[in-house]
Amino acid sequence: MSSDDELAERLRDGDEKALRTAYDRHGGAVLYLAQRLLGNRADAEDVTQMTFVAAWTGRDTYDPRRGTMLGWLLGIARRKAVDRLRSAARDDRVTETVRAQPAPPGGPETPERVLDRLVVADELGRLPEDQRRTLELAFYDDLTHPQIAAVTGLPLGTVKSHIRRGMATLRRRWEVDGAALGSRSAGPSRAL
Amino acid sequence: MQHLDPDRLVLLALSEETVDASESDHLERCAGCRLDLASLREVAELGGESQEVRDLPPPPEHVWRAIAAEITPVADLTARRRRRARWVRPVLAAAAALVVAAGGTVAYLVSRPPAASVTARATLTPLATVPASAGGTVRVLSDGEMRVDVRNLPLTTGFHEVWLIDPDDLTKMVAIGSLTDRPDVVLPVPPGTDLNRYRLVDISDEPHDGDAAHSGRSLLRGTLTS
Ligand SMILES: [Zn+2]
Repeated sequence: MSSDDELAERLRDGDEKALRTAYDRHGGAVLYLAQRLLGNRADAEDVTQMTFVAAWTGRDTYDPRRGTMLGWLLGIARRKAVDRLRSAARDDRVTETVRAQPAPPGGPETPERVLDRLVVADELGRLPEDQRRTLELAFYDDLTHPQIAAVTGLPLGTVKSHIRRGMATLRRRWEVDGAALGSRSAGPSRAL
Repeated sequence: MQHLDPDRLVLLALSEETVDASESDHLERCAGCRLDLASLREVAELGGESQEVRDLPPPPEHVWRAIAAEITPVADLTARRRRRARWVRPVLAAAAALVVAAGGTVAYLVSRPPAASVTARATLTPLATVPASAGGTVRVLSDGEMRVDVRNLPLTTGFHEVWLIDPDDLTKMVAIGSLTDRPDVVLPVPPGTDLNRYRLVDISDEPHDGDAAHSGRSLLRGTLTS
């Protein structure tokens, strides 16, 4: 699997296959974000399309040192989705449709929250196997350290260090991409 | 000052254990540990939520085809086909060119009252060779007209032509009309044009060479959606 650096370089060189790789890797996350923000599938697919076209057009602006490619793409998608909501709000016909959208369960969700979730999920998938596995048991199955040790057969001390390191990596990624995307400074209560 | 142990912070963040009295005291006084705990708690919460977004299915292939259609330079297409577009209207194109050259108003620019509703729209984005500030929007109205707004198109010695292209077969296209030097132009869509098929809007730079086929120099592209 090519790194973001390599992918960015191929993109800058105008290699359309690199865009396809980015699409295969991150298209699902972009579509998910758009769908959460817009509430309907057709608009979400449009925004996904616009996002990758804009990524292609603006491929010179991606700097791997400032964040991951996923973070960059999600930032573009968020802007496109917000633009679409604004232009929809100007158009009465569409406003009715937007108003008719049921609120997502669990109350309104900020774009930043959805973004953070996608970034953390992506980083979790990149962790070394042992760290990933122990964190999944902690996050998804709510197991305690001793329970994880029992399930995996790993010594408790090893479980501890996997979880501590894994969490530290997730936190770094969350802070880096969050800073690049401005979600950290936005505050948790800011709505669209 | 004795800070909270990193392993302990993780246990607290995962709510596996609770903060005791002396830790609570320390957290009140130590901004560093407070921030660490708050961040780790947030990460733990996001980690829990991440399950639903692991291994998301890729978007449907038609989304990719639409992307590919927008980023493929027409120069490639015209090189591939080397024949005239089937839907050309040389007389109209030439007439429009004359009008632009004369700097006059365009006969088919008709301002309508805003009674017609929008049935499809597209956001136009610049192709790679075009300044990023260029762009525009297209709205198709229920009365069969198409409103085209563009901004920051590169200057041309020729003219700008609006096309509707079939993204599934980029050699199939319909010439809609030319842009004037006004930012907002209304053009009639030829009756019977299937906008589900001819949904890729393309603005090209055309020389005054009498050749009504697409020049291959696309400036802006966007896909119509209803
Ligand atoms: Zn401390």
